[in-house]
Amino acid sequence: MKNLLEIQNAHVYIGSFYILQGISLVVPEGEVTVLLGRNGAGKTTTMKAILGINPPREGKIVFNGEEISNLPTHKIVNKGIGYVPDTRRIFSTLTVEQNLIVSRRKETSRDVMQARLELIFDLFPDMRRFMKQRAGTLSGGQQQMLAVARALVNDNDLLLIDEPTEGLSPLLAKNLIASLDRLKEYATILLVEQNFRTVSKLGDNYYIFDSGKIVHEGKNMSELISSKALVAQYLGVSI
Amino acid sequence: MMVQKKRFSPRNYLEENPQVKRILRFAVFLAIIIVGYLAVIWAIDIYTLEGVIIKASKATVNGLALSMLLFLMVSGFYLIFGLCDVINFAHGSFFMLGGFLGFIIYLGTEAVFLDPALPFHLIFGGNQYVMSIMAFIVSALGAFAIMALIGGGIEFFTIRRLYGNSIAQILLTVGFMYIIAQAAVVIWGPSQFSYFITPGSTSQLDTFFMGGVLVFGDIVFKTYNIFLIFLGFAFAGLMFLGFKRTRIGLQIQAGIEDSEMVEALGTDIRKLFTIVFMLGAGLAGLSGAILVPVIGANSGHGLTYLIYAFVIVVIGGAHYGRFEGTFFGALVVGLSIQFSSYFIPFLENIIVFIIMVIILIVKPGGLTGHE
Repeated sequence: MKNLLEIQNAHVYIGSFYILQGISLVVPEGEVTVLLGRNGAGKTTTMKAILGINPPREGKIVFNGEEISNLPTHKIVNKGIGYVPDTRRIFSTLTVEQNLIVSRRKETSRDVMQARLELIFDLFPDMRRFMKQRAGTLSGGQQQMLAVARALVNDNDLLLIDEPTEGLSPLLAKNLIASLDRLKEYATILLVEQNFRTVSKLGDNYYIFDSGKIVHEGKNMSELISSKALVAQYLGVSI
Repeated sequence: MMVQKKRFSPRNYLEENPQVKRILRFAVFLAIIIVGYLAVIWAIDIYTLEGVIIKASKATVNGLALSMLLFLMVSGFYLIFGLCDVINFAHGSFFMLGGFLGFIIYLGTEAVFLDPALPFHLIFGGNQYVMSIMAFIVSALGAFAIMALIGGGIEFFTIRRLYGNSIAQILLTVGFMYIIAQAAVVIWGPSQFSYFITPGSTSQLDTFFMGGVLVFGDIVFKTYNIFLIFLGFAFAGLMFLGFKRTRIGLQIQAGIEDSEMVEALGTDIRKLFTIVFMLGAGLAGLSGAILVPVIGANSGHGLTYLIYAFVIVVIGGAHYGRFEGTFFGALVVGLSIQFSSYFIPFLENIIVFIIMVIILIVKPGGLTGHE
C-alpha cells in the first residue's frame, strides 16, 4: 500500500520555540493514522506543519509523491487535503450553509458539492435542519459536525482531524467517532486525539508524541491500551 | 451549491440579529430624546414650532447625506482593518487624494466632452447638463480606479511584508499619510485652499446638480444631498447583498473572523488581502471625489476624515467584525454633527467625541459589537 503522506525528519519552530525536533512518520493510503500524546507534545503543530501554517525549517513533507514543504497553505490544501481544527474554528457570523459555501474550493464543481452534501447529511442527518442557522448559535456537538462537514465539501484524499471529541459528551463523542469510521471509505485520515481509548477501534496505525519527538509507533492500538508502561509514561493524563 | 434565495423578512432578520434589534431600540430611544429636546426648546420659545420643524428637517436631510458619505469612506477603512488586520492611517489621505483626482478628472473630462472639435458632445446631443453629469460620473469612477491601483500597489509592495507586525504597519501607514498629505500641499497648496467645481468655470455641474434645490413649502433641500442619501442607501444595500450572497463576500466575512482558517480551507488569502485593499482604497477615492462638490478638494482633509473613520468604527462596533456597525456608526456621526450644528452649535465640533466616550464607557463593543 502506498504512503499518501510522508514526513521526513521535520524540524518546526513557532517563533523562537523549537517545537518539532526531527519527526518522521508515514500515513498509508486508505487507513486511519492516529497521533497520540499529552498536551503540548507537538501533535497540532504537526498538522499545521503539513498545512504550511508552520512549515518545517528542515526536513521534507511529501504528499501524493510531491514535496509540499515549501508551498503556501492554500496550494497545499488545494492538492486534496481537508482540515478539521482542534477548536472547531467555524465562522460564527455566517450560517451553516454559508460556512459550507466558503469551504468549497474553485475546482469543486457544484455537482460534486451537491453529492458531498448528500454524504454530509447522511453522516450527520441533523445538519439538514440547521443549514440556515447562524453557526455561532449551534451547540458544541453541532459545531463539531459543521467543522467536519466543512472538510468534506471537497473531494479530499486526506483529512487532517484535530481533537474531534474535545469538549463533547461521551455519547456525542461516540457518535462522532462512528461517523469518522464511515469516512474511512472516502478518504485517508490523520487524526489527533488525546483520549486514545475513544479511537482505539478506529486507528490502523498510531504514533506517540512526547516533547516534540515521536517516542513510539505501532499498528495495533489494543496492544497499546494493554501496555500499562507506555500509557503511564506518555499518555498518563488521558486515562 | 447555489445560495438559496430566501425571501428577506425584517422580522426574521431582527430575530437573527439581536444587535441590530438593540440598535433600533437605541435609535428609537435617541429619537425620543431628540424630539423631547426639540419640544423643550420650542416650549421655552427659543424657536417657533415652524422654525424647529424646518431646522430639524434640514438637519435630518443634511445629516443623512453626510452619514452616507462617511459610510462610503469608512466601509473601505473597515474592510482593510477587518480582513487584513491593518489600521490604515493613510485612509484619510486616500480620501483626500480621491478628492483631488476627482476634481482634475472632472475638469479634464468635461472639457473634452464640451470641446466642439471633438465628437463627444454629439453623443450627448450637445446637452451640456448631461455632459457635466457624465463627466462627474467618470471623475468618481476614475478616482475609484486610480486609488484602487495606488492602494493595491501599497499593499503589494510594502504592507504585504509586514503582516503580523502591527507596530510596523502603523508606522508605515502613518508614513504614507504624511507623504501623501505633504505631496498634496506641494502640488495644490495648504489647507487654506479648497478646490470647488464652481459656476464661472466651464462647469454646468454646480448650477444644475450641486446648486439645485428641492422646495417643500418653506423647507429647501439641496438636490445633491438627496442624491447622496439615495447613493449611500443603494451602496449599503449592494454591500449587504454582496456580503451575504456572493462567494467572495462570504470569504471576506469569514476572513474577518479567522483569516488563517479561510486559507486552510483553500483560499489564497494574500490575493484576497490585495483585492480588499484595492477595494478599500478605491472606496476612499470614490467618496473623496463624490464629496468634492460639497467640501471641495483640500490637502487638510486627510486627518479630519481619518479621525471620523476611527470614531465611526468605534461607535458602530465594527472593530468587533460587524459590517453593519459602519453603517450605524456613520448614521450616528453624520446626524449628530448636523443636529448639533443647527441646535447646539457650540458642540458641533466635539459632539461625536462626546458620544464616542459615552458609548465606550456604557458599551465598549460599540452599537453592534459584543457586550
